[in-house]
Amino acid sequence: MVKKTVIKVDYSKCHSKANTDPRDCRKCLLICDPAIFLMHPTLEDDHPDPHNPEIWRIDPIWLSKCTGCMKCVEACPEQAITVIPGTSLHEMKAR
Amino acid sequence: MCEWCLKHGDGGKWYENARLYQNELADEYNVTAYLEEQWKNMETLFLRKIMGFNSIGLGYKMKMPIIGRVIRSLVEGQIHSEKKNRNPARADGHFGQVLPLEDAQHIIGNLAAEPIIKNYCICRWMQRGVKDAVCINFGQLSEVIEKHTRYIPEGVKYRLDREEAIEALQEQNEKGYVASVWFQPVPYINAICSCETPECGGLRLRNDFDLRTVYKGEYVIDINIDNCQGCKECVSMCQFSALRYLPSIKRVIVDLDKCFGCGVCRHACEHDALNLLPREDVPGQAGKY
Ligand code: SF4
Ligand code: SF4
Ligand code: SF4
Ligand code: SF4
Ligand code: SF4
Repeated sequence: MVKKTVIKVDYSKCHSKANTDPRDCRKCLLICDPAIFLMHPTLEDDHPDPHNPEIWRIDPIWLSKCTGCMKCVEACPEQAITVIPGTSLHEMKAR
Repeated sequence: MCEWCLKHGDGGKWYENARLYQNELADEYNVTAYLEEQWKNMETLFLRKIMGFNSIGLGYKMKMPIIGRVIRSLVEGQIHSEKKNRNPARADGHFGQVLPLEDAQHIIGNLAAEPIIKNYCICRWMQRGVKDAVCINFGQLSEVIEKHTRYIPEGVKYRLDREEAIEALQEQNEKGYVASVWFQPVPYINAICSCETPECGGLRLRNDFDLRTVYKGEYVIDINIDNCQGCKECVSMCQFSALRYLPSIKRVIVDLDKCFGCGVCRHACEHDALNLLPREDVPGQAGKY
């Protein structure tokens, strides 16, 4: 059975309203070898203003490539990341 | 030559067809309107759903027996799309191919429409948090990107003449970045990227999930066994883990199935042991893009 990796980012800690603009911090992006995280504006139909800091988020995207190293958890200055490692499909062909 | 060459190459390689760079063609396909929509919120690309699926946890989804196959055909169909009602926000029809420095420089020197700009690589910004002004864009795309100041490098000359763009490509390739050329959307060509893995979205889908969003280059590397001194310098240059050093024979070997033919490894070799061969001339690699 494939157990999926679960990663959560707590936006009450990592958000411009909590005085942490992910675009300034970026520590999780830098430290993660397989680059699991994506930094992006929120997904809305009418294209929100990208200069508004409130719409920027960090989201874990490529979960199956997470190796469970926990480096992002240690690196996050706001303790905003939790990782429950599952099966890493790293270097396994998806097909 | 791949199926894109057969369809759009007018007898040669698709990216060497001058017609595909022209303003008239861009106008015919209403390209500026498409690009304006695509570039407004480019960073949300992987969150957007294709028939109900986004890229979150893509590897697990692709392991599921039927759904995996459905996703494969949806994603590949979308990237290869030439349909009239393409969705810009999902980057429908944004297909690319790896190419060696010489071919990339030939395009910039002779085929690319002006103006030519360099801007921040979005993939590296949203996946690694690094601002790296290495994307060379041209033609109608340049004017679209210029409106979005967050992609424009600060305090440097970002509109380049042909010589400057050729020089920029040289520098980036020597650093170890892989050159790639892009339709955006098919059949209009307007970008030469300098990518690395795993940040590059196109190469990510290709390398990690075997989705044909980017094709391998028209070449593969050939190692001259007599010249190779076993210095291992080339191994660290390959973004695709195609080269390996073997202590027993004191030289480097290549896994041709992994080689994308980018030619970047050549910059490291001081012994003239690495050369590109046309993919079509190599048994077992012909037609494998
Ligand atoms: S646990 Fe390691 S591999 Fe997984 S997201 Fe964090 S840094 Fe990346
Ligand atoms: S390291 Fe933590 S605070 Fe910094 S951007 Fe990542 S999730 Fe946000
Ligand atoms: S395709 Fe390559 S160079 Fe272009 S934005 Fe993506 S990683 Fe950057
Ligand atoms: S071995 Fe192939 S893929 Fe690797 S750097 Fe050389 S040409 Fe590129
Ligand atoms: S850089 Fe050239 S000489 Fe050195 S190991 Fe690679 S192919 Fe051989």
